[in-house]
Amino acid sequence: MTASADLASRFAAALADAQGEITDASSWPDVWELATSLTSTTPVVSPDAFEQLRRGDRPDPADPLRSIADREVGITQARLAIAETGSVLLIEPSDIDRAVSLLTRHLVVAVDRANLVADLAEGFTWLAAQPQAAAYATFVTGPSRTADIERSLTIGVQGPSRLSVAILQDSAS
Amino acid sequence: MSASVRPFTERYKRAVRDPDLKPRLLDFQRSWRLSRDAQIKRLEQRTERSFDDLRQDFAATKDHVRASWNDYITEFRSNAEAAGATVVELNSAADAVEYITSVCQARGIDLIVKSKSMVSEEIDLNDALQRSGINAVETDLGEWLLQLADERPSHLVMPAIHQKRQYVAQILGGELDTQFDPDDIPAMVASARDGLRKHYLQSGAGLTGANALIAETGSIMVVTNEGNMRLATSLPDLHFVTAGIEKIVPTWSDAHDQLQLLPRSATAQTISTYTTCITGPQPGKEMHIILLDNGRRDMHADDAITDALRCIRCGACANVCPPYQVVGGHAFGHIYTGAIGLVNTAFHHSIDDAAGPQGLCVSCGACETVCPVAIPLQRQILHVRRRAFNAGHAPRWERLALKLWANPTVMRTAMGIAALLSSAARGLGLVQRAHLRLPLPSRLRWRSIPVIPLRSGQTLIASRQPQPPLASSPAAGQTVDLFVQCLADRLLPQAVDATARLVEAGGANVQVPAGQHCCGLPAFDAGDWDTSRAMAQQTIEALEQHTRPIVTPATSCVIAMQDHWPQLFADDPAWLSRAQSVSDRIYDLATWLDGPGRLPNHSLQSTSQLWTAHRFCQMSNRDAPEARIDQLVARLTDSVPAELAEADVCCGFGGLTSLAAPEVGAGILERKLDCVNATDCDILLTNNPGCAIHLNAGAHARGDAHETMHYAEFLANLLPSDGA
Repeated sequence: MTASADLASRFAAALADAQGEITDASSWPDVWELATSLTSTTPVVSPDAFEQLRRGDRPDPADPLRSIADREVGITQARLAIAETGSVLLIEPSDIDRAVSLLTRHLVVAVDRANLVADLAEGFTWLAAQPQAAAYATFVTGPSRTADIERSLTIGVQGPSRLSVAILQDSAS
Repeated sequence: MSASVRPFTERYKRAVRDPDLKPRLLDFQRSWRLSRDAQIKRLEQRTERSFDDLRQDFAATKDHVRASWNDYITEFRSNAEAAGATVVELNSAADAVEYITSVCQARGIDLIVKSKSMVSEEIDLNDALQRSGINAVETDLGEWLLQLADERPSHLVMPAIHQKRQYVAQILGGELDTQFDPDDIPAMVASARDGLRKHYLQSGAGLTGANALIAETGSIMVVTNEGNMRLATSLPDLHFVTAGIEKIVPTWSDAHDQLQLLPRSATAQTISTYTTCITGPQPGKEMHIILLDNGRRDMHADDAITDALRCIRCGACANVCPPYQVVGGHAFGHIYTGAIGLVNTAFHHSIDDAAGPQGLCVSCGACETVCPVAIPLQRQILHVRRRAFNAGHAPRWERLALKLWANPTVMRTAMGIAALLSSAARGLGLVQRAHLRLPLPSRLRWRSIPVIPLRSGQTLIASRQPQPPLASSPAAGQTVDLFVQCLADRLLPQAVDATARLVEAGGANVQVPAGQHCCGLPAFDAGDWDTSRAMAQQTIEALEQHTRPIVTPATSCVIAMQDHWPQLFADDPAWLSRAQSVSDRIYDLATWLDGPGRLPNHSLQSTSQLWTAHRFCQMSNRDAPEARIDQLVARLTDSVPAELAEADVCCGFGGLTSLAAPEVGAGILERKLDCVNATDCDILLTNNPGCAIHLNAGAHARGDAHETMHYAEFLANLLPSDGA
């Protein structure tokens, strides 16, 4: 197994441990196809992801959060993926960037394969060197959860109740 | 109604009256332990470093920050301000409340959505804001449930762990005007999501805590599972951060190190769902970071306490705490719960607030074994307990009992009388299996009262033939002093005699120095250092007549001599040196039999009885060789013990705890004896006299079939009758 394939399989296993889902989608068109297959309405798309996709609904800049509250499916892009923990790192300096990942029920996250790193330490090293990214950076690991009622694990309490991750193959390959 | 904390006695009574609390917390502790241990093991494998190395490293980082505290606070502050945040350093809870109130009032904000923040609990923010007409809504589900029920968190990380789903269905149903099926937790959670959503959309400010403040960039790091923190910091235009000044770490790398330990120790997760790092507000919004002192600099000024400021609020100390399992965090703590709450309450609140739960802690030290920042909690609790005692918080009976116990003549007389009464009771047929058959009040019925034998351990030793040597140990031919221990002398005389015989079996001669009584442990445990010091001095005088090795069957006294005495005499060099000349020579019997007085493998007779061993928790929690009596017994008798689950968990004796808080002693004992019964053993062995007496009395009250014995007695019974 190549080092990269090993990272990918470790990432997938850790993500599954956190009740997240790895998808077969390996390109932006795949991601769009997947997202549309999950909803009868149009997916909402974060500004980052829109630059790649050029389609989908975007949060209304005048009131980004309220404009998409509880939309079914959203698409966003992660800056890094962490094999150790199954986390994706979202860089979302403003509420327009955050709206999709905060408020949709099923979040599809795309991340470039080249940005899959081994562990959280690498993620922190990367962040420490990126002052702008650290404005609002979140390692997201699986869907929102709570165990506050009798320690019973319940998914989807405040944020997305499903989280799918697509690892995009390098465009050269 | 205010959610301010009710008096301790009321909280304690409520806790022990709740029949569901104990089993639920037991289930929680056991499952947490399994998951946490697996997580830590994986971490050790991945990093190729031990848990202890990892935690010592991060503890050193936290200590380093406090050594240059003001510099790091300044660095954090200037970087956060450069990123656009407002940073205020405030001294007291009142200052913090006033600041938040005035910022809200100036902007006309009347609704704040809150993510979980223990500091906001510490300063009683919600009630204070309410008084100013500002509504604060908790958005962490557990915290919200508490708010709806007008309760306080009972755990640092799982705040509503004490609530039953039926109760949750009731309070949530009331708030949302819906009928809930208590068994349908997903439905309750889904409705809570909708119920909370409207508050976010209407709020003028969000408030969060911070798990770490990163000095090099002025960033905050917050860890949650629900994602409510991200909502509370995104929907409103103003973000308050309330954080203690101890939360500062120098760099992102240090924040990573903290994150490596925090979720694994808290919820036994590799990582929580959301780890969010924020540096300054987004343009057009506001971020106010409140750096709170509220007693933290006082903690730092106290050498015995400063390490408590390493705390990362993971709650692990509660998750292994035997008394916590019995009474939960409302009784075992104040606002802060678990072992750390017994320490920091004295500083963030008051010594009066910290005093109540002190007597619940059994000093077993389990908390220290899992603390991810290696806080010496056991020792710190004893320090706070001393302050509470000095502030007049010990019950009068306890003070009196300690005074009497400290006096050897009084004790000898009292024990003599008790022995005569025991003998009379035997004549009246009131004795069964060495315990009195008396109608005890229900609160005390869980433990029978042992009879006091007529002959003490010292009397037995004086009136017998020495044991012929069985083997020539390194100590053969030497004379050894015996420290018999006050409790063992009168209540377990056979164990004292057995200790002498086992030492003699290695070829050494045994002497019992005159004038020995009590090492001072009970008084030290109670916080009464003056009485403890007097007892220790008396013991030192008795044991310094010679310079020979001292052997004792009393494992707890070894700890008292090695750990408590240096604290008692820290300011008295002359006594410190005398104390050390004694404690340097003390051997727990088990280490003696494996060391200078070593008996060879299989040198005792074999046994057909199935035995198991409860290892004295204080020793085993420090992973000391003294604790490994199961290995010793197995080695000497060529037998295999029945495996005892939770062999290192406290038995519930806990010195005065089982007297001051009988329900706690009973609850812990029940957990222990259930484990013992599951082994189907014939004999339960243990290494500390107090535990042996307590376990025996408890098993007697339950009618358990097994026998309970100090391991010395068991071993001595297997000495070949004719020597080697």
